[in-house]
Amino acid sequence: MLVVLPMLMFPVLIGLTSSFIASHEARAHERTMTVAVFMQGNRPGFADFLEGSESVQILPVEDLDEARELVRSDSLDAVIVFEEDFDRVVRDLGTGGVELCIKLTEDSEIERGRLLDALSAYGDTLREERFRSLDLEVSVCQVLEVDTVNMATVRERFADVAGGILPYMFVIFCFMGAMYPAIDLAAGEKERGTLETLLTSPVNRMQILVGKVGVVILTGITSAAVSFVGLYAGVRYMGSIPPELFHLLLSILRPGTVLFLLTLLLPLTVFFASLLLSLSFTARSYKEAQSKLGPLMPVIIIPAFIGMLPGIGFNALTAVIPVLNVTLATKQVIAGHADPLLIGLVYASLVLYAALGLFICSRVFSRESVIFGS
Amino acid sequence: MIEVRDLVKTFRLTRRQRREEGWPKDVREIRAVEGVSFTCRPGRIFTLLGPNGAGKTTVLRIIATLMEPDSGSISVCGFDTVEQPGNVRARIGFLTGSTRLYDRLTVSELIRYYADLHGMEADHYRKRRDELFDMLDMHEIAGRRIGKLSTGMKQKVSIVRTVIHDPEVMIFDEPTVGLDVITSRSIIELIHSCKERGRTVIFSTHIMSEVSRLSDDLAILHRGRLLYNDTYESFTGGMKTPSVEEEFVRVLVGEVEE
Repeated sequence: MLVVLPMLMFPVLIGLTSSFIASHEARAHERTMTVAVFMQGNRPGFADFLEGSESVQILPVEDLDEARELVRSDSLDAVIVFEEDFDRVVRDLGTGGVELCIKLTEDSEIERGRLLDALSAYGDTLREERFRSLDLEVSVCQVLEVDTVNMATVRERFADVAGGILPYMFVIFCFMGAMYPAIDLAAGEKERGTLETLLTSPVNRMQILVGKVGVVILTGITSAAVSFVGLYAGVRYMGSIPPELFHLLLSILRPGTVLFLLTLLLPLTVFFASLLLSLSFTARSYKEAQSKLGPLMPVIIIPAFIGMLPGIGFNALTAVIPVLNVTLATKQVIAGHADPLLIGLVYASLVLYAALGLFICSRVFSRESVIFGS
Repeated sequence: MIEVRDLVKTFRLTRRQRREEGWPKDVREIRAVEGVSFTCRPGRIFTLLGPNGAGKTTVLRIIATLMEPDSGSISVCGFDTVEQPGNVRARIGFLTGSTRLYDRLTVSELIRYYADLHGMEADHYRKRRDELFDMLDMHEIAGRRIGKLSTGMKQKVSIVRTVIHDPEVMIFDEPTVGLDVITSRSIIELIHSCKERGRTVIFSTHIMSEVSRLSDDLAILHRGRLLYNDTYESFTGGMKTPSVEEEFVRVLVGEVEE
């Protein structure tokens, strides 16, 4: 499970999400909408305008209240009501009012967009008519046009979003991959009594601990590594990702970045493994260990999540906060402007945490009251 | 040979233990073993007899280097359990009533694993494994997963795991507790065969029939203190009651009244 789940997670997630969104959007765009239009004595310009559209069907409903009721009961998609003196107001160079009655849900957002586009296009024709009648060019009322040029590279823009998500996902997989083996190798072995049989073998206690920590580290790193493979496969072979984003993702998932993240994850996993094993040894059973280790998940998720938020600076303080420092360092590397001093600080702090974790774990494992406590 | 001298072991009680086991709040620690001394000789079976909570398991765990004594010393085959624990562990086999196996391994994998832990050469391992599999009729289950075996079969695997390295000293901690008659019998046979092969055997129990069947030497432990330590023959010879069980109770009650 620890290998298969992270491996399949990304391809399945990307494949399912993108195909679902694409098919939903296509359906919403192609669906023929049923609409009632009340011109209220104005000229039938907009109704004629809509008649030309193949994907909109105008239903003849006499009564406005009845039409609104039909929308409420999902028998009609929308009602468009022009104010009674719309033509006069427009003629007098005013702004005519139009009411769009529609059930606003996440699903109807595309339909609403289609109707607004149609109304906007109709508004454009009226505006052109107005300017013609005044003998003016349309551009006359536009005195300023601002064109913002984004100087950030596509890579930098992407680093803000995916730069945080990538380490977030991998830290979580790494932690999850380490958690269950840690429970089994400590509390599980205590509960089964196999720990006692190991301790009566000629292998010394420290060797046994090194073996256990090694296995937990290996499963954590493996879990993160196969999720890389899964993400790569997901991006490469599944889903319909926009070409610009696709090439960018592939360039970010290049060996250098992946290797960098793995080297950050290694000391972090040693720290996780030590922490998880220490706590697991203090539990009397597998179940108790699960209840002790479960609450650690938010403790890991929160700093990883904070690292994804905009405005969190990468400085000497955040570079020494475990998990958060991995997220921020990865964002910098993906953006292509990593500060070597801060990156060095991240490595140093992670190695220090790992050493501290190992020390605590060895102390816990050497205590009789922990190993044989009931 | 096992030599135990003035063994003392104290356990500090945690807050949880005080709460769950009903100890008074002012009790901070309990003396599990107090000034215990005895000697187990090769080719003889030494029985450690005592009621539940007497300190038998603690004594055996200290002999097996799982715990360290507060004071006193234990020598196993000439090696000190605190100073040379690795040498001690290489010479002991430790068997309890619970099987303590890895359910996901096959029988062969598990035995190989423990042989590796004992650093056995491949040839020596294969010879010893075949010998034990023949003796316990286990060839058929060699490739089966342990989780799929019956309790009796599991106990056989547990025996092989314990003796695969042919230890000089065998420690049995209430080895037949919770086992059916057939499985208990195979354990009793194992204890006998260890004695016949000149091994040092120490086993703890509170089952009187086992005491009568197996003991060469006997020690009675109660509340961490040794109440009796001599040959089984001397114990039965000096009995003031008609049965071993009644004499055991008499010794305990006498100690309580004192």
